[in-house]
Amino acid sequence: MGRSDEELVQACQAGEKSAFDVLVARWEDRIRGAAYRFLGSEEEARDVAQEAFLKAYRALGGFKGEARFSSWLYQIATNLCRDRLRRRKARATVSLEELEETGAEMAETEPGAHERLLQRDLARAVRRAIRALPEEQREVVILKEYEGLTFLEIAHALDAPVSTVKTRLYRGLGQLRLRLEREGLRAAATPLPAPAK
Amino acid sequence: MECERIADERLQADKMDLLYGEADAEVKARVAAHLDECPACREEMEALRGVRQELGAWRIPSPRPAFSPRGMVVPRWLAAAATLLLALGGFLGVAGYVSVIRALGAQQARAQALEARQREASLAVEALAVRPAAVDAERVLARLETHIDERIRASEERQGRAVDLRFVNWTEEIEAQRRVDLARVAAGLSYLDGRHGEQVARTNELMGYVLEAAARKR
Repeated sequence: MGRSDEELVQACQAGEKSAFDVLVARWEDRIRGAAYRFLGSEEEARDVAQEAFLKAYRALGGFKGEARFSSWLYQIATNLCRDRLRRRKARATVSLEELEETGAEMAETEPGAHERLLQRDLARAVRRAIRALPEEQREVVILKEYEGLTFLEIAHALDAPVSTVKTRLYRGLGQLRLRLEREGLRAAATPLPAPAK
Repeated sequence: MECERIADERLQADKMDLLYGEADAEVKARVAAHLDECPACREEMEALRGVRQELGAWRIPSPRPAFSPRGMVVPRWLAAAATLLLALGGFLGVAGYVSVIRALGAQQARAQALEARQREASLAVEALAVRPAAVDAERVLARLETHIDERIRASEERQGRAVDLRFVNWTEEIEAQRRVDLARVAAGLSYLDGRHGEQVARTNELMGYVLEAAARKR
């Protein structure tokens, strides 16, 4: 059984530098994945992940353990992504990968060609719908839906009240529902009968 | 039909807790009570579960390796064409290499042959040019020396004869000149003698005139 994040952080703070390597190996893919969903660019996501770990390593001495290490790491990565998105808006540039859909996203899991195409269309629609969300809703959706953070962890990562996080998520999901229905990829839901008592 | 509590943020938060499995017993009871009475919220919760399922369709592509042949989806005709082109390129490359090597070999052989010919020619020229030149030079020098000696001798003889001749001539000329000078002196003396007589006569005549004039005057 490996050591927990908090134990590794303490070991690192005590001078065991190799403990940080374990933390990187444990969280790198997750952080990179979140950054990819935020930014839509593999290269930028890789850069953000590296930068986030570098920042975390430098600031590890001041980490008090009030929040979980992962929340703290997501917070650093999210801020880095916000900075990049801000700069991108200023430059008015669009990542090529935003325009070019990656057809391999679903290819390996679906056996039939027809289903594969449907899944690919759905994946594209979902991605477009999420990217169309306001930034604060998009962040919560990604951290909750794809990264599986708890509301409390998201609140720590985004430095926002838990109630605000839940409200943003509720509104974000509502927006996604409308957008996906508009794309014709899901039928508008009909009111369900009241459950039998 | 719309829920009367659609803007109720606490209900929204409860729904999120329930949807994501973070609701405690109290929240579950609270949401369940509302859903029993609100078809719009039941429909909404069902739709949001569907949305969550659909969100799962967006997966992150695995990190791209630097080069992954499996990741390259290429049509067979394109692959065949690429292979053909590669083979053609390889053949042309090899053929070109062989041609270049052959051309270089031929060029080198030509250069060597040319160099050998030039070397032979220069040796022949040296053989033809150097030896006669030396022999001729010696002969010419000997001839020149002889010729110069002859010329010098002839010149000395001529000069000697000329000097002798000039000396004889000079002696003769001096003698002749002496005779001429003596003749002139003799002629002059005789002239002077003649002139002297005339002069004395004239002086006497003049003196007579002067004496005569002086006497008259007195």
